[in-house]
Amino acid sequence: MSYAHISVSRLLLSAVLIAVAIVLSRRSRLGLERDLVWGAVRGAAQLIAIGYVLLLLFNHEKPGWVLLLLAVMLVAAAGTAARRVEHGPPRRVLFPRAMAAIGAGTVVAVVPVFAGVVPLHPWYEARYLVPISGMMLSNAMNVVALVFERIFASARTEADQVEALLALGAAPRQALERQVRATLRAALLPTINGLLTVGLVALPGMMTGQIVSGTAPEQAVRYQIVILYQLVAVAAVAGLVAVTFARRLLFTARAQLVLPQG
Amino acid sequence: MTATLEGRELVVLRGGRRILDGASILVRPGEAVAIQGPSGSGKSTLARVLATLLEADAGSVHLAGRDAREIAPSQYRTRVAFLAQQPAMFEGTVLGNLGAGPKLRGQPFDGAQARELIGAVGIDESMLSREARTLSGGEKQRVALARALANAPEVLLLDEPTAALDPDSGARIVALLRELHGRGLSVVMVTHADEHARALGGTLYRCERGQISVDA
Repeated sequence: MSYAHISVSRLLLSAVLIAVAIVLSRRSRLGLERDLVWGAVRGAAQLIAIGYVLLLLFNHEKPGWVLLLLAVMLVAAAGTAARRVEHGPPRRVLFPRAMAAIGAGTVVAVVPVFAGVVPLHPWYEARYLVPISGMMLSNAMNVVALVFERIFASARTEADQVEALLALGAAPRQALERQVRATLRAALLPTINGLLTVGLVALPGMMTGQIVSGTAPEQAVRYQIVILYQLVAVAAVAGLVAVTFARRLLFTARAQLVLPQG
Repeated sequence: MTATLEGRELVVLRGGRRILDGASILVRPGEAVAIQGPSGSGKSTLARVLATLLEADAGSVHLAGRDAREIAPSQYRTRVAFLAQQPAMFEGTVLGNLGAGPKLRGQPFDGAQARELIGAVGIDESMLSREARTLSGGEKQRVALARALANAPEVLLLDEPTAALDPDSGARIVALLRELHGRGLSVVMVTHADEHARALGGTLYRCERGQISVDA
C-alpha cells in the first residue's frame, strides 16, 4: 500500500499552524508565545530523534536495546509524574514510587496482550513493543500525576475529617477511603470518557496512523479496540498502586496522619 | 490504684522549639481533669499526644498501665475518645454520624442506640435526620460527643470544646461534661478559659511553656 509522503519543505509548512496560535496568543495577551515556540521546537526535535532511534532499533533489533529504550521511557514518564506535586512530598520521594506505579500498570496491560492477542516474533519485536508500550506509559504517567496531585491536596484540605475518623478508631485505609475513591474516579474518568467517545468524537491517533499508512480499516479498528482496553487496565493498575504508595506516605505505622511539608 | 490514662515526661519538638517539655499527667479512673493555659502553651499538643494522633519525641503514654505503643491504635482510640476544637462532621445525617464508630468496626448500630446517645447529650430526637454539616457550632460539639460515646470510651479527651462557641453554649457543654463525668466517665478537657476549667469541678492543671503542674 502507498501513502502520501511528506517532504521536509511541506513539513515546515505545517509550522504555520503554530504561527496561528502565536498570533492569537499575542492578540489576546496570553503571554504564551515563548512556550508555543519552545513546545513546537522541542516536540518536533523529540519526535525526529525517536524516529531515528526507532530506525536504528529496527535495523539492529536486540532485546537489550529494546529494553533499554523502554527503561528510558519509563524513567522519563516517572520523572514527569513526580514533578511539581503541590503540598506533596519532594520529588526524590515520589520518583521511585511513580516509577513502580507506571511500571506495574504498563506490565499488566502489555504482557498479556503480547502473549495472547498480538503475539510477537521475536518477543522483543520493537515495531509493536515500543509504540504500544509508549502509549501505556504515557497514560499511566498522566494517571499517576493526577493521583499524586489530588490525594495529597485532599488529605490536606480534609485533614480534620481524616483525623476525626482516626480518632474514632479508623484504620488509615478507612480514614482516607473517601478521598481515595474520589481521586481514583477522577484519574480514571478521562480514560473511560475516551472509551465512550471513541469513533464518535475522534478517531484515535494510532488507528488514524495505521489507516493513513495503508492498513485495512478493519484491522486498524481491531488494534485500536485492544489498545483502548489496555489503556483502561493501565490506568486502573497504575492509579491503584500510586494511591497505595501515597497512603503509606500520609500515615505513620501508628496510624497518625502526617502531611508533607510544602 | 491503676491509672486510667497517664502521660510521662512527654517531649514534642517542632523546628527546634520544645512544644512539650517533659509534661506529665495522671488521670485516675472516673476523674475529671481540666488543663488550662494560654494559647501556644502546648496544651493542645498534649491532648493530641494523649490521643495518640501525634507521636511524642520522648516520653510515653500509658492506658491502664500499658504503654500505648503496645496497644493497636484503633483499639486505643476506641477506649480514649478525642474531640477536636471544631469537630468535623461527616457527610450525611446526624444519625449516620452517630453510627460512624460502630460502622468502622462492622458492628450494628440501630435507631434505639442513636436516640439514647442523642438524648444523653441533650439534643432532640428530631435532629437525627438533619444534615450534620448544617448544624450550629454547639450542636456539632454535642453530636461529636454523642458520636464519640457510641464507641463506649473509658476516657473523653476534649481539645478546647468551648473555644468556638458563644458563652451560653460553652457553659452548657461544660455542664454536659460534668454530667457525663457523673456517670463514671473520665473527662480530660483542655481549655484556655479559666472559668470553664474551674466549672468542670475536677483536678485543675496549669500548662505553661510546654510544662504542666497541678493548680494549688
